[in-house]
Amino acid sequence: MNIKITYNWLLEYLDTDASPYDIQKYLSLCGPSVEKVDKMGDDYVFNIEITSNRVDAASVFGIAQECQAILPEFGKKAKLKFDPLNDYKFVNIQKKYCNKNSLKVIIKDRDLCSRFTALVFEDLNLKPSPELISKRLTLCGIRSINNVVDISNYLMLSLGQPVHVFDYDQVKKSMMIMRRSKKGEKIITLDEKEITLSGNDIVIEDGEGRLIDLCGIMGGANSAVSNKTKSIILFVQTYNKNLVRKTIMTTGQRTEAATLFEKGLDEERVEPTLVYGGELLEKFAAGKIASQIIDIYPNPYFKRKSISVSYEFFNKIIGITIEPRKIKRIFTSLGFKINNLEDDRTKIVSVSIPSWRQYDIDIKEDLVEEVARIYGYNKLPNQLQPIVYLRQPPEIEKLFKIQSKIKYFLKYIGLNEFINYSMISKEMIEDSGLKTEKHLKLSNSISQEIEYMRMSLLPSLYKNIKDNSVKTRYNTAPGEKGVMRFFEIAKVYFKNSVLKDSPCREVYKLGIAVNTDYFDLKGIVEALYKELNINDGLGQMITNEIKIEEKNGVFLTEIDLQKLIDDYRQIPNYKPITPYAVIKLDKTFELEPKHTFQMIKKLAFQSNLLQKIEVVSIFRNKLSLRFYYSSSQKNITEEEAKRELEKI
Amino acid sequence: MQNNKDIIIELNKELSSLTDLTSIDQLEVKYLGRKGLINKLLQKIKDVPVNKKKAYGQKINQLKNEVKRIIKIKKLELTNNKTDEFFDATLPGKPYPRGSLHLITSTVEKISKTFQRIGFIRMSYPEVEWEYFSFDSLNMPPDHPARDDFETLFIDVPPAPKLGKMILSPHTSSGQVREMWRCGRPPIRMVSIAKCYRPNWDTTHTPMFHQFESLCIDKNITITNLKASINYFVKEYFGEDYQARLRPFHFQFTEPSFEVDITCSICKGKGTIGHQKCKVCKSGWLELAGAGMVHHNVLIEGKINPEIYNGWAFAFGLERLIMIKIGLNNMRLLYDGDIRFLEQF
Repeated sequence: MNIKITYNWLLEYLDTDASPYDIQKYLSLCGPSVEKVDKMGDDYVFNIEITSNRVDAASVFGIAQECQAILPEFGKKAKLKFDPLNDYKFVNIQKKYCNKNSLKVIIKDRDLCSRFTALVFEDLNLKPSPELISKRLTLCGIRSINNVVDISNYLMLSLGQPVHVFDYDQVKKSMMIMRRSKKGEKIITLDEKEITLSGNDIVIEDGEGRLIDLCGIMGGANSAVSNKTKSIILFVQTYNKNLVRKTIMTTGQRTEAATLFEKGLDEERVEPTLVYGGELLEKFAAGKIASQIIDIYPNPYFKRKSISVSYEFFNKIIGITIEPRKIKRIFTSLGFKINNLEDDRTKIVSVSIPSWRQYDIDIKEDLVEEVARIYGYNKLPNQLQPIVYLRQPPEIEKLFKIQSKIKYFLKYIGLNEFINYSMISKEMIEDSGLKTEKHLKLSNSISQEIEYMRMSLLPSLYKNIKDNSVKTRYNTAPGEKGVMRFFEIAKVYFKNSVLKDSPCREVYKLGIAVNTDYFDLKGIVEALYKELNINDGLGQMITNEIKIEEKNGVFLTEIDLQKLIDDYRQIPNYKPITPYAVIKLDKTFELEPKHTFQMIKKLAFQSNLLQKIEVVSIFRNKLSLRFYYSSSQKNITEEEAKRELEKI
Repeated sequence: MQNNKDIIIELNKELSSLTDLTSIDQLEVKYLGRKGLINKLLQKIKDVPVNKKKAYGQKINQLKNEVKRIIKIKKLELTNNKTDEFFDATLPGKPYPRGSLHLITSTVEKISKTFQRIGFIRMSYPEVEWEYFSFDSLNMPPDHPARDDFETLFIDVPPAPKLGKMILSPHTSSGQVREMWRCGRPPIRMVSIAKCYRPNWDTTHTPMFHQFESLCIDKNITITNLKASINYFVKEYFGEDYQARLRPFHFQFTEPSFEVDITCSICKGKGTIGHQKCKVCKSGWLELAGAGMVHHNVLIEGKINPEIYNGWAFAFGLERLIMIKIGLNNMRLLYDGDIRFLEQF
């Protein structure tokens, strides 16, 4: 997630001599990435990326905390001016409590909300916000509405804890019941959208059973602050993050508050937010506290979690030696407590984790990360690990080597390589005469075009030819058919009948498609076999086992890559050059279904003297062949050769 | 009868004065035509005594070949030197096919070679995976957002005991624990480049994409080793003037985790072009990859003792790399199958 805050706002919390651009540079290297700084009038707006584990930093105060740790490493002054976590406590406003206007709260399920606080204010004076607040909100991309609504947004940006404000008089019977939603329940949210819930969302209903809040996402329109509002409920909670995330996904309502809640917030920051909110409402909206503080907090964070790590461990992982003194400074500046601060002789440091890092820091490597990043990755040297010899499994080596050889060969003879999606549509499968039910099917595909895992490359290649034939190619005259010869090497996917280590059978295939003719495609395959030195041992192609299909003028073939890999020979079989005469004889045959070239060839090769056959010419069904006869032992006579030819 | 030698001398004499092809053609008829000199000599064979017929015939044939050769040479001289016909040397040569390889193919080759040189072997793992290898073994708990319907594509079959649901691997990191199991004991130096799948489809996402993954596990592996490997790769792939930097980031299966940025190729790392902010990058840097030190829970799943061994992992999307390198702004072009795009590479 990204947040926007301003430089002047940051300076309210931080005493520093660093310029906005210093902050951008140094924070990006060691903490949250400051993607942009924009000068706006007399202020600067930072656009900062916050990683999902560091939601604690997603606020002006959170960034001030990071600055306090990072900037001193670059020789810049950085000190927190005050700490809202310590300075804003319920005791500050204790004297102002009163009992009238009390609010009844029922939480039906403990799992929904880890901390629930609320405070009622009355006699509010709704008006535009003071300039300081409206200007800062505007710079940070939030529209200023009125002082009360603005204060709730201002609190969220200041401390990173979302806040909601209800019109107290619209919460019927002064009652709130927090529960799980039922499937099909409807709520109209502040932005006037009617949302139908899928169930298990966190919601609040009032004393008349009306839904008034889609918790963590947005309040209901029925209890929103309006210009008639006199009393409000200031509402600060931490929710079950998984339920909030589910609601975001099912409703598509990703508000800024929701983005914070779904990461899981620090319950300890609820108290300062409520107290600070009270202060702002008093100051800028003349609000008076009109209730007890409601604070439902079943599992308070009493004891800080501690982790012990040896100083040696930091050095072992980081790769250089970092002084214990430096390590301790880094932790202290980040708000961690060093438990054995006094003991300098020990080889171990024990640190307590602050509340706002309780969900993020678990293991000693987490502590290494804190030290390494604040120390500065940029200061670490480059040291390559030792090079070791490892044997690549031969079958993998062959797979990649021969695949590459095939790709380059096909490219060099003029084919274009395609990479298509592994998923295809039902229509493509049926159109190719295949059966959809044999295919693995996606259960949550985002488009019908990509619903099934393909079992053949040909439907995609056929589509490639068809799609491209309607496009005008710059090298083709209008109406002229551009020659297309495409190939793809990729895995296809077959269901496993029994449970195995790998979920399905993934088989590499080579697919070729041309829009020319049968013999063009056959020629490509034969040339490839020749290149890979694949033959039947007699110098003859075995490509007749390759099936070529024709569909609407497109010729297609698919070959098992593993077969090519198995048959591949790096060096072809050596044949001694014969010193004896070669007798060439031509003969013309009439081709017919029972008398094909393949059969003539088969018969001809029954002769031990035949070396090779060449096609001289084909005219209609007349095939002229040239036969090369010779012996490796002696000169043969023309008569001997003729006798061999006669046998055919 | 004239002897051969005299005829040749006569021919050369006549030829020497000729300067155009038409008169040479006429001369050719005089010697070689149907009623030409040579044929006349041949007809005289009937007057030659039987025992000399063979020798006579051979002699005439020799003469015929010699005359042919001389005339041919003279013709060639004329066509090459004279300007009767215009020879345009600037015309294109005979066309040969070129074909094309997909950008992914050439990128895969280059990356694997780069890592091969520092001792990494390329491996291959399933694309259709079990949740266990893509998530559980990588320290990603069952409620992790990456595992839901919006981030991962699921196959419509019942889940398997222990291994979970069948999915399309959303990242190449699914191979990490598989490689640890295969090797048994470090050292491990693996790269894997494979198709990955996620349910996103726009100008910067395609539902199928390619990731590169490298994994190094050994004794005493450090962040400085990772930094050096990334630096080596960036300099090899993009060039000496490119810089890489590591920034803190968060991944479940590494700790510490980094994001890797490289110098923006458009503004050359300045962040501005003229007085305008560079529109492509973030202040001179482009995000390229994720990296980190392998999380000890992942080592444990891989049956490797994290007290003895540790390691680093580094991964990025190939499409992004290609987009940076050639300045492509629509990722879908790579898989839309438009020959006008593909045939350029």
